[in-house]
Amino acid sequence: MTSGTPSSLDPITVEVTRHKLDGIANEMQSTLLRSSFSPIVKEGLDASAGLFTAGGATLAQACAIPIHLATLIPGVETAMKTWPAETMRPGDIYALNDPYLGGTHLPDIMVIQPVFHGGRIIAFSAAITHHQDMGGLSAGSVPTHATEIFQEGLRIPPLKLYDAGVLNETLVAMIRQNVRIPDTVMGDVFAQVAATHVGARRLCELADRLGTETATAIFDELLDLSERMTRRSLAEIPPGTYRYVDVLDNDGIDLNKPIRIEVAVTVRDQSIHLDFTGTSPQVRGPLNCVPSGTLAAACFAVRAVTDPKIPTNGGCFRPISLHLPEGSLLNPKEPAAVNARTATIKRVAGSILAALAEVLPDRVPAASSGEMVMLALGGRTPSGAAFVTADQIAGGSGASRYLDGVDVIETDATNGMNLPAEALELESPIRLLQVALRPGSGGAGEHRGGLGTIREFEMLTDEISMSYRGERHFSQPRGLFGGEDGQSARAVVIRADGTQEPIPSKIVSTLHRGDRLLIETAGGAGYNPPAGRAAAATAADLADGKVLAAG
Amino acid sequence: MSRAGTTYEIGIDTGGTFTDMVCRGSDGSVRLKKVPSTRSNPSAAILSALAFAQSEWGVASADVTLFAHGTTVATNAVLERRGARTGIITTAGFRDVLENGRQSRRDMYDLALRAQPPVYLAPRRDRKEVRERLDGTGQVVVPLDEADVRRAVAELVEAGIEAIAVCLLFSFLDPTHEKRIAAIIGEMAPDMPVSLSHEVDPAFREYERTCVTAFDAYVKPVVARYLADVEAGLLRSGIHIPLQVMQSRGGLASAPIAGRRPVRLFLSGPAGGVIGGLDVGMAAGHRDLITVDIGGTSCDIALITDGRPLIRTEGLIDGFTVRVPMVDVTAVGSGGGSIAWMDAAGSLKVGPQSAGSEPGPACYGRGGTAPTVTDASLVLGYIDPASFAGGALGLRPELSAAAIRDTVARPLGLSDEDAALGIHRVVNTQMAESIRLVSIGRGIDPRRYALLPLGGGGPMHATALAEELGIDTIIVPPNPGVLAAAGLLGAPIEHEVSAAFPRRLADVALPELTDAFAGVEARCRELITAEGVPEARVQTAYALDLCYVGQSYHIEVPFDPAAAEPLQRAYEDFLDAHDRIYGHRIAHPAKIVNLRVVQRAPSSGGVPMRAAETGTPPAPGRRMIRVRQHAQRVEAAIWQREAIGPDTQIRGPAIIDQADTTTLVEPGWTARLAEGGALLIERETAA
Repeated sequence: MTSGTPSSLDPITVEVTRHKLDGIANEMQSTLLRSSFSPIVKEGLDASAGLFTAGGATLAQACAIPIHLATLIPGVETAMKTWPAETMRPGDIYALNDPYLGGTHLPDIMVIQPVFHGGRIIAFSAAITHHQDMGGLSAGSVPTHATEIFQEGLRIPPLKLYDAGVLNETLVAMIRQNVRIPDTVMGDVFAQVAATHVGARRLCELADRLGTETATAIFDELLDLSERMTRRSLAEIPPGTYRYVDVLDNDGIDLNKPIRIEVAVTVRDQSIHLDFTGTSPQVRGPLNCVPSGTLAAACFAVRAVTDPKIPTNGGCFRPISLHLPEGSLLNPKEPAAVNARTATIKRVAGSILAALAEVLPDRVPAASSGEMVMLALGGRTPSGAAFVTADQIAGGSGASRYLDGVDVIETDATNGMNLPAEALELESPIRLLQVALRPGSGGAGEHRGGLGTIREFEMLTDEISMSYRGERHFSQPRGLFGGEDGQSARAVVIRADGTQEPIPSKIVSTLHRGDRLLIETAGGAGYNPPAGRAAAATAADLADGKVLAAG
Repeated sequence: MSRAGTTYEIGIDTGGTFTDMVCRGSDGSVRLKKVPSTRSNPSAAILSALAFAQSEWGVASADVTLFAHGTTVATNAVLERRGARTGIITTAGFRDVLENGRQSRRDMYDLALRAQPPVYLAPRRDRKEVRERLDGTGQVVVPLDEADVRRAVAELVEAGIEAIAVCLLFSFLDPTHEKRIAAIIGEMAPDMPVSLSHEVDPAFREYERTCVTAFDAYVKPVVARYLADVEAGLLRSGIHIPLQVMQSRGGLASAPIAGRRPVRLFLSGPAGGVIGGLDVGMAAGHRDLITVDIGGTSCDIALITDGRPLIRTEGLIDGFTVRVPMVDVTAVGSGGGSIAWMDAAGSLKVGPQSAGSEPGPACYGRGGTAPTVTDASLVLGYIDPASFAGGALGLRPELSAAAIRDTVARPLGLSDEDAALGIHRVVNTQMAESIRLVSIGRGIDPRRYALLPLGGGGPMHATALAEELGIDTIIVPPNPGVLAAAGLLGAPIEHEVSAAFPRRLADVALPELTDAFAGVEARCRELITAEGVPEARVQTAYALDLCYVGQSYHIEVPFDPAAAEPLQRAYEDFLDAHDRIYGHRIAHPAKIVNLRVVQRAPSSGGVPMRAAETGTPPAPGRRMIRVRQHAQRVEAAIWQREAIGPDTQIRGPAIIDQADTTTLVEPGWTARLAEGGALLIERETAA
């Protein structure tokens, strides 16, 4: 039907192939989630799978959380650099997790498999999973007080997990010996392998039907199509350089030292360049973020401001370039700690969008809370059993030109779920006293920012260790075009005797029976001056108690 | 006029465009009728169909022994936001559970976010707190403050609230407080419809329980009015038997009981189709089936394994999760009305936009200019414009060709037919990938299953879908277009009651569990007894929702009290199911989440089939059509479904026409009649 050169590709076959590639990526993802052991994958959906071209560009990706977008690209590139194509063999599967060698942070292991057809590599099939533990300072391998990567867990450089189909027992033994829950971790690793196998098998079936040459030509064509649409979409943004500066509260170590994120977004010639000159040097605590994180944030932001109908693949990312100053928060040097990078990626994504707000007033909302509280509580139940529980708590989203912000919702780079009171209390000696909207926290405006939330926990037993990682305690989500800022976040430990201990954004502490933890997340910012707000909207807000009565 | 001694069973399914009626006589007769739906007052169409049966078929009211109904009234109340003004009464501190939701969003890249939970069910001002609290063991930590309750009820009544949902923390462990609140509402506002969370959904996780309870209250007055309307109409027509309503999990319940728990009616219509598909497939000798119902705007996919429809414990209504058991139907936005369009880079896309029934596909000649999948079918010669939908519409193929030419063929430099073929290839790929994903996600390899296409559009795409999926057998029901109505007559009367039982399996002694089951069964028996079903016909099934300790999703496994080691048996079954669905099993301790009791009285007659014709079939007609397997038009045999005899073998390319659908048999496939009157299409094995 086709002769194999792009110009003569049958457009219907190209579109049918795109659907099949998306279907394959979804089947890989389904296999990955289904076969994994740990709750963080099954319920946190912290795992993604995708197909890459022989050149390392994303062909199709199924991803449940934006932070994984494009995040496998540096891993695939590293594998290609480590093993030149002529040395790769069918049955090879590579694994890595080192952030300084293509990874993200140590809990994320990437598994990468070359796909052979017609005697050559036509693609890579890859999967990334956030593993429940990777050793290091603390269970879960995301220690908030780490100051170098060696404390964060086992570092796996690019290694062969399978060598021409033979399992690397040495590597497996090494991983098993270094993690707290070896069965779960290896179960999840083999789920990744199952997913890459599904991708490789179905891709080969597809290439059987199309022929090797036609298949790869179609892959290239699909990337070109998405690139063309993305560039056309970028051309609609007025050219120029747009800047934004925001601050993270602190790195959890130096509590009085805000961390600066500065971005200059230049839109020109159907491309977009992101320059982070001016961003803080790398920090002692674990908020540093290797370049793949900023790439994910940038890809997310570009996807969000371009035509949503563009099929997501590596073509969408071609018009993006980054400048990440060496030794900065966003391009740290070894051995900087990086495990808490999520907060940083969130804020980077928010800052890129905020920079574009002035020229895309129709598309980009005012700032969202920019925080997702990571709370972990653990200890022993009165019967002596160990428990660990975690909650992720969102703030409000920013208002936009046409809509109010949404109360208590995950935005930008993250998309986690909160913990129900009835799930918490069935398992842990902790009581949730309230789950409430936080009145008045949304920035006023013609459109109001979404409200943050209030969650209050009471400890029912002694010696409960708490780690709280917040953000936006010392800054506010900024309003747009005269809209007001959203309220800052705050959190306080109220001891059983009534003593109040405010939490400086991040803390590791111990709580006892009768102690309460009161968390209030930030509200989203407002859009346009409050004077323009419709009377009915104001009346509804008052009736619903979402704003505080004036006076 | 009614023949002496003949009794009748009537099933009526309300659809978006048509209301379908199937009438089965005890003499073996099966009659079908489609009347236009009356959206503003759906009962009008039902009563006009019934009047037709009486006047044209001679069905006497006194001879009607079953009147079963599949309704969209609950679903439409939600889609059109026509539910009651609803208030919520909840535990102090938890007023905002409904609005906080689970805080995650569905569309990752959309910057203009909207609230993800259905906050419109009860805005904040209509949610009231009362002081009370249970802990995670069901112990009272704070007693119920009745003054708070009276204040809350007075405020809600004052505000003009039309229904109240009561959702207290841990009410599934001890419902005393919720029941007391219901009693106080009963005193203060005797006519107020009330939904109690421990009755609607006695399971943990307060947001999900609040949400489904609020939905129940929201649709309750609308559903009650509607059912009363239909019942009154039936009475006026002289029909005195109870109205039976299809519930989402595929069983019937009499109107008064169904109206008590209206949140169980959201999939009333699709459930009929699945039950119909089940019976047709079983009659043809297949216990593992994938049903694909292709209508105008969507394609509904459901799986039947070992003769049982998969049931899921929560589903979606209008994009919102509702935790209520329902047949596991997944809707995908591809159908006959899906519009073909070109994206900015010049690629052909199909859907998710649909032309619907107004203006409909271009060929309807009602002003639609966008080419649809149906237009492509017409251009390819699959549909006979004169006889489509029984000739009622009078299609205009030249409008189809023009629409495809302007939008697709010219920009791509293709002939009209190649463009039409392209539209089919794209939509078939989309649907096949969706079916594959639904199957794989439930641990099922579609290649082992038979495909059962239904809806007006299903049989047109069946061989193409089967080929994509590696399926060898297709079963086309006798009347795919009215299978949902036919399924109503094959459905059991069924009630299901569950109760939370959050305990580790290993810590539970058998007598404790059987005691707990006895309590649940007693509640279920009350319902089935109210149906007037003879005791001997009632089948009882017990099930446990189990999960690994630490997991928060569960699997329903049967519980057999007569087994040698019932608890061990249930644990083994759980491990097997976990392995099938999630790909691994570990000897990790399991936890019980809920107990379930299902009692059902099977249908007496099953799904009605039409008997096969006898005698020599007339020779088929001939027409040139385009199929993807050939670069030119090929001659296809055109059969009338009624004319197919028991010995007829139809080799593709062929088309089989009938009033409610068109079946395309592509080259490589052969069709013949199966047991029960269905059409069996099988892949020809390579010579």
